[in-house]
Amino acid sequence: MTPAASPAPVVRLTDVSKSYRVGEARVQALRGVSLELGAGELLALTGPSGSGKSTLLNLCGLIDAPDEGRREIAGRTVNGCSEATLTQLRREKVGFIFQGFNLVPVMTVFDNVEYPLLLLGIPAAERQKKVKDILARVGLDGFERRLPDALSGGQRQRVAIARALVKSPALVIADEPTGNLDSATAAQIVDLLRELAHERGAAVAVATHDDRMTSRCDRVLQLRDGALQ
Amino acid sequence: MKWLLFAWKNVLRNRRRSFMALLITAVGTAAVLTGGGFALFAYESLREVSARDTGHVVLAQRNYFTGDEDAPMQFGLAGAQALAAELRTLPGVRAVVPRVQFSGLISNGDKTAVFIGSGVVPEVDFRLRGGQMNFLAGEAFDAGRSVPEIAIGGELARTMKAKPGTSLTLLATTTEANLNAVDVIVRGIVSVGVPDIDKRLVFADVAAVQKLLLTDKVSTLSVYLKDTGDTAAAAARIGAAHPELALRTWLDLAVFYKAVRALYNRIFGMLGGIMLVIVLFAVSNTLSMAVVERTREIGTLRAIGTMPGEVVGNFVLEGALIGGAGALAGMLIAGAINVALVFSGLQMPPPPGRSGGYPLLVSFSVPLYAATGLAVIAVAAIAAYLVSRNAARKPITEALAHV
Repeated sequence: MTPAASPAPVVRLTDVSKSYRVGEARVQALRGVSLELGAGELLALTGPSGSGKSTLLNLCGLIDAPDEGRREIAGRTVNGCSEATLTQLRREKVGFIFQGFNLVPVMTVFDNVEYPLLLLGIPAAERQKKVKDILARVGLDGFERRLPDALSGGQRQRVAIARALVKSPALVIADEPTGNLDSATAAQIVDLLRELAHERGAAVAVATHDDRMTSRCDRVLQLRDGALQ
Repeated sequence: MKWLLFAWKNVLRNRRRSFMALLITAVGTAAVLTGGGFALFAYESLREVSARDTGHVVLAQRNYFTGDEDAPMQFGLAGAQALAAELRTLPGVRAVVPRVQFSGLISNGDKTAVFIGSGVVPEVDFRLRGGQMNFLAGEAFDAGRSVPEIAIGGELARTMKAKPGTSLTLLATTTEANLNAVDVIVRGIVSVGVPDIDKRLVFADVAAVQKLLLTDKVSTLSVYLKDTGDTAAAAARIGAAHPELALRTWLDLAVFYKAVRALYNRIFGMLGGIMLVIVLFAVSNTLSMAVVERTREIGTLRAIGTMPGEVVGNFVLEGALIGGAGALAGMLIAGAINVALVFSGLQMPPPPGRSGGYPLLVSFSVPLYAATGLAVIAVAAIAAYLVSRNAARKPITEALAHV
């Protein structure tokens, strides 16, 4: 499968820096990072713990703000945007996959996947169709009424992938998506994520330590001490 | 509907904790409804007692209520019969009864005591007063007897060593400032429930009293309506038709009713306020624990595009559901208490200055139930808002890192 062509990158970061205060000290998490990520592209971010992978993903996913630098997401400059605008952008354009799955335990599989569509105000019939389609696509047909606790780790991550992709976002952020999975399941999850991202033309940024994951990505970038190598 | 379902599922997430909050809310609601219902029952009872005692609208000569009489019946009302006939034709009027207030000495030949009396139309007056007039012995007297009949208070009867059939003498000052006396026969011994009044109380036929006082005037005309709720309208209509007369409604004259109402409003208002604060704390406690436990989940929902207001809205719905379920349970408890009290026959002790107790009953009032239910739901929703607003605005990266 070939990545879909796109006139403008989904993510464009220019000279982005970010630091945190840890006690009395200031830790520089990112130093002048510039990055472009196109539609349908699967990008792996690797590097040792504390290298800035998660910080970079948080900035791309609009859940954190840089100290310096320019950010463009889905063709829009987001510097200076209000929290409400950023939330609306995340609602429409960004899907998230977490290492710990982060499913809502009281919601069924169907409800978890439907949730982003509810936020978008999509009519019930259309929601139902989209959820059923994506669940079938991730191999969870027939699991709609189950609660997350009744699923295996791999199945939960499939639900998380379905939740992230059901609204066909421009960008998917995946932070260590195979970190809690065994090898065989991890490989299946990576393949699934890659297929779906290409199918739906979503740019996917993945933070990972997993070599099996990086080998399946379109591009691999390594971070060290907050800078791209 | 989906949001409501999610909220309900979240309420059930920690059933024991939610149940405790719901139980406290239910008990608080039941306490407010029972206390409020008891106050309403007291108001309704006292309202009827007051209205039956004075009449719904009382008409008198212009100076009667405000002036001090130099001689008996100086401010009496003339032409009462014609006025009463006219008033009886008004819509909603049940009866119009003349009354003559008088006082003097009552004697059994050996002993004399002061009395305060009312000249009444016995066949109408005793019927209108109903259960308020308790006959301890004998019965209601008849008008127009050659030797007038009277009813006297129980305490006065004891002082006079009187029983039904006993002859007594009433001595009073006439309108011409002379003393006049009339022999009477005791037909009934009554109690109005207030020992201080029963010690002086005399009821006599209005014509006999007029004859004793040498007058054809009456003190007041009491207008009894079919519905107490029509009092204000009837008073306005009568007042407009007779601007030359002084007019008071039962509420103007119901000093005890107003005092009890003011007291109960404060007592039960404070009780209600305390109960709502307890509900606030109970729901706050339950939801603040839920908010802490779900911090990471809040971060996840915020990351995937939920606005802070929507996160708060979900918690407010949860609070409202706990409040609503608690209020509903409280209403059922209060309803069960209402029914149990009806069958229990429990009596309240006599109020200060009274000789008899009254049944312990609680009124059911739709407005009271609705207002209490809404207040409990609103307080629970406010509690949820207060405990969730900061968590919803917490930085998402911080919330996601919460362990």
